[in-house]
This record gives sequence, structure tokens and C-alpha cells, in this order.
Amino acid sequence: MMPKGDNNVMSIKVAKRSMSGVPPASVMTGVLLFVLILLLAPAGARAASLTGNSNTYLQSRESAGGANLMPIYEYLDFNVQNLGKESISFHFGGWLGYDLQDDSFGNDKKKGSDLQYGYLSYRTKDHNAVVNLGRVMVFEGVAAERVDGIYARTDLMKGFAISAFGGAPVETGTDLPGNSTIYGGRISHHYEGLYTIGVSYLNENKDSNTNKNSDIWRREGGIDLWVRPMNKVELTGKSSFNFQTVGWMEHSYYLMLGPFDKLRVNAEATWISYGDYFASTTSSVFKMTPGGPLDPNEKVKILGPEVFYAINNNWAVSADYKKYTYDIAGSANYYGAKATYAKSKSYNAGVSIHKMDGDTDRLQYDEYRIYASKKINKVDVAVDLLDVKYKEPINDVTNAYSATLAAGYELTQKLRLGADVEYSKNPDFDKDIRFFLKLNYRFDAELGKRKGV
Amino acid sequence: MPNWASARGCSMNTKTKIMTFLLLLPVFALALYESTGTAGTALKHPTEVEAPVICSQCHTDWRASMDHSAEFGGLRHKFSARQNKQTCGLCHTESFCSDCHANKDQLKPSDKYKDSPERALPHRGDYINQHKIDGRINPASCMRCHGRSNNERCKACHR
Repeated sequence: MMPKGDNNVMSIKVAKRSMSGVPPASVMTGVLLFVLILLLAPAGARAASLTGNSNTYLQSRESAGGANLMPIYEYLDFNVQNLGKESISFHFGGWLGYDLQDDSFGNDKKKGSDLQYGYLSYRTKDHNAVVNLGRVMVFEGVAAERVDGIYARTDLMKGFAISAFGGAPVETGTDLPGNSTIYGGRISHHYEGLYTIGVSYLNENKDSNTNKNSDIWRREGGIDLWVRPMNKVELTGKSSFNFQTVGWMEHSYYLMLGPFDKLRVNAEATWISYGDYFASTTSSVFKMTPGGPLDPNEKVKILGPEVFYAINNNWAVSADYKKYTYDIAGSANYYGAKATYAKSKSYNAGVSIHKMDGDTDRLQYDEYRIYASKKINKVDVAVDLLDVKYKEPINDVTNAYSATLAAGYELTQKLRLGADVEYSKNPDFDKDIRFFLKLNYRFDAELGKRKGV
Repeated sequence: MPNWASARGCSMNTKTKIMTFLLLLPVFALALYESTGTAGTALKHPTEVEAPVICSQCHTDWRASMDHSAEFGGLRHKFSARQNKQTCGLCHTESFCSDCHANKDQLKPSDKYKDSPERALPHRGDYINQHKIDGRINPASCMRCHGRSNNERCKACHR
């Protein structure tokens, strides 16, 4: 058994290849080649349909060090459906960035990029069977991962379902050399309308792990649950177990009651053991030290109800409360209320007030927010005011606020131009003005369709 | 001195077993699903839905639990996604998830969508200072997104 917290952050050597966020060239080349071949498929094949979004952003701001930054970003995502066959599709999402004035991408870098996801998918009409190959996002029980590899799932008989994934983990935070593998899966059973219960497992190996007795870095298992024992009563949540530290990482459950006419009552109950929960991270932020801000012996219970009341189809009010109880640190409370007005595709407004009440002045603030947005034909405007009052001054400032004005115009049905300006005063800036321009283009096309067909 | 070669050989053997298991699993699953009679989830929701999405207006089974009520975006959606992600895909493309759940990103979600103030997006306003308090109160809420990804900029202060 490994001591708790022993496999913490900085001592871990990890895969440069996948940690960098850049996919293995062979994987992406293979996927793209396959897509190309399918796109060039001979006549007789069904025409593929392409849909996607191009979001171009230009931001102007000042860094905390006083440099003027003007990064421009292109976020592109698209799906190609019916690729060769109706059941095959390709999905891509990624961004490129370049700073027109200074180095805003860290480490004196003027540019940055990331492949968020890019995979070929095979999906059957029945049974919810899916096989994804490439850079895939996996959300299955204990797993919420990006993986360069394969993901598959299918329904089985009598309410059972199974999923599995494997490959190289896509993570950030260190550039030390090494190879990494990750795999896992989930088996679930559901009874229509009554419950879904899943058991999942995840294993991540790093062959440069400083624990020389094992390559294993993460070994987690868990149970996830959704149950509806009676009408208007639902419980959902999960429990995760760390096999490396041999302890429960987290129990997190959410009870939903209602709606009773216009009233809904929800309650969250979460328990976290720091030594087990933060055992495998790539950031020094979560480095645990006994007696430090992140103590491996710390455990926290979070309990809190929320009450929602829909006054009518447009107006709603809510109140929420969370109590944090620690084994070592003092307790804290977070509570507040919100009122919202929503009219679909036309008008949104809200006002909220919340208080964070930690056990010292340094851990206390009040938060106030008011916002509104309105759409009139092709024009939309939004205003957002946020004010945070810190109990203990930060850089001699207790009142941090920001005011944002945003506007957009639909140039065509597929093309929208937007701009916003944010003025703020906070502990880091006496006066900070940020500008943001955005151009959104939705596109679609039929690929491989012959003229006249 | 430890026998590294032996240790590596053992590790490779384990990896071979894992890869074999992973390769066989889809075949196994394929054989099993052929014998099932379950219908598949549609690729797109058959009717257009308008925000706020209240699934329980039409559905009375498990789908009613996916009501996009005020707290859904903040906390509850993670439970639905980890059990039933294909249902999310009825209305959302994967880019909707990666707007917040990023591997490497510089733009806060709330910066990309300042024109949608009604959306539950993290880190509005002066969060660089506010996170010093929230992170101390509940560091697990940071860990979920920054524990193993999207944490390269944390190094600027957290060395």
C-alpha cells in the first residue's frame, strides 16, 4: 500500500507526447487519411453532410505586468455525418491563437493551439452502440478524460450496458518525458424509469512514475447512481474509490424533490477525503502538505439545500445554502438568493446576491450580480454588472467590480458579428478595460454529391 | 540494485494483456448487442426545444431528470453526462462541452459568451482574486477542471 499523498504532483514524470495536448501524429494522420478516403468514396456512396462553426475572437487587454496583449483566436468545430455510410461520422474541434502585439501564450510564446477532440465515429441505429477512434472525450462513471485512443459502448440484454476506453491520456501540467496509458470501462444496469446504476474503473500508468515498484499512477473505481423511487423524488450521484491510496475519494449525491406545483427542492451532500482525492494531479496547486492549505488528512462535508419557485412561465426565484464542515479547518457557509426573468429567444434578466462566510475575514466576501439581455430582430444587447466585496482587503482593495456591455448583429442567418467591452476595478487593476470582437459563422454543406443528383 | 529489465518486462506483459483485452472487448460487445432488442437514441431531438429546456414538460420517465433548471448547468449536469452522454448529444455538439471542459484554453467561457449572461458559466468578473477564497473553501471544485488539464497558466503563480 502506498502512503497517502505519496504519488503527488511534482514527483511524477509523465508522457511528453500526450501531456502536451498535441495528439500523436500517427493517430491524427490515420484518422484524417481515413476521412479523406471516405470523402473520395466512389459514386453510389451516400453524400456526406458537413455542419460546423467557425468562431473568430479578437481580444484586447492589458496583462498584470503592463504589456498590451491582442490575441486573435480561431475556434473551429465541425461534424461530417454519413461518411461513406450512414453510421460513420467524423467530429473535430480545436483552436489556434496568435498574439498580434505581445506574448500572451506564456513562456514568451506568441501563438498557441489545441486539438480539443477529433475522432471517427461508428454508430449503429439500434442498441446505442458506438465506437469512437481518435482524440475522444470520455465521460463514464469515474472517468472524465480526454484520450488519444478508442472508446466504445453498447447496450446489452435486459437493461445492461457496457463501455470501455483505452489509449494515451491527454493532460497538461508537466513536460517530463515518459509514456502513459489509460484504460477503463463501465458496466451499468437500468430499469426504465426506476434506476440506473453503474460500476466503473479507471487505470492510468506512467512508466516514469517515481514509485519504482509500479507504473500505476491512478487506479480508481466507483459507483454511479440515478434512482427514482417514486414520482417527484430522484437521487443521483457517485462514489469514487482510490485503489492506490486505498480510500474513498468522494461521495457526491444530489436529491431532487418536485416539482410540487411551482416548487422544487434540491439538496447536495458531498464528502471528500483530500488525501485520496488530490493524490494524482499534474499541477503543483494541489500539492498536499500536512498542516498546509491542502492537508492530506483533511476531510470536508458539503451539505446544502436549494429551493426554486417558478412564479409564472417567466419569473423564478431561488435560494441556496451550502455548509462546509472540515475535520481540521474551521467551517464555512455559502448562501444567497436569485431572481430571474426569461422569455425564450427574446429577453433574459437576473439579479443575485451571495455571501461566502469562511471562518476568517480572509475567506469572506459578498457577491452581487445583475444582468439583462434582449434580442430585437437581428440585434441583441446584453449588460452584466458584477460586484464582489472582500471582507479583508486584497492589495488594499475590498471592492472589485466589473461592468460589461455586449452587442451583436446577425449579418446573415449564418453569420453573426459581436463585440463587448468590459470595464473593471479589482485588486490587480485600478482601471481595466477589455475589448472583445467575435465573428461566428455557421456552415453546412453536402459533400460528395454530384450535380443534378 | 533493482532489476529494471525484469520490471519492464512485467510491465510490457501487462500492457499486452490490456491491449488484447481492449481489442477483444468490442468483438465481445458486438456479439452481445446483436442479441439485444433495444432501440437506439436518436441522433437529434425530434422536435425543436427552446430554452429553458424543461424535459419534464413532455417526458415522465428518467428523461424528466434532465430538466435544465437553474442548478443543472452548475452541478447536476455532470451526473447526467457520466451516465448518459448520448442523450446530451441529442441537442449539443461536443464543442458545447469543450467550451468549458478544455484541455488547454486561454479564454474563459464567460469571456466567449458575454452576450449570454443568463448561462451558468464559471469564473465571471475578477475571478483571479476570488479563486483564492473559493479554492481554499473547496479546492475539489478547482481540481475537477484543472487537476490534470488546463493548468499550465496556474504555474505563473503556483510554482
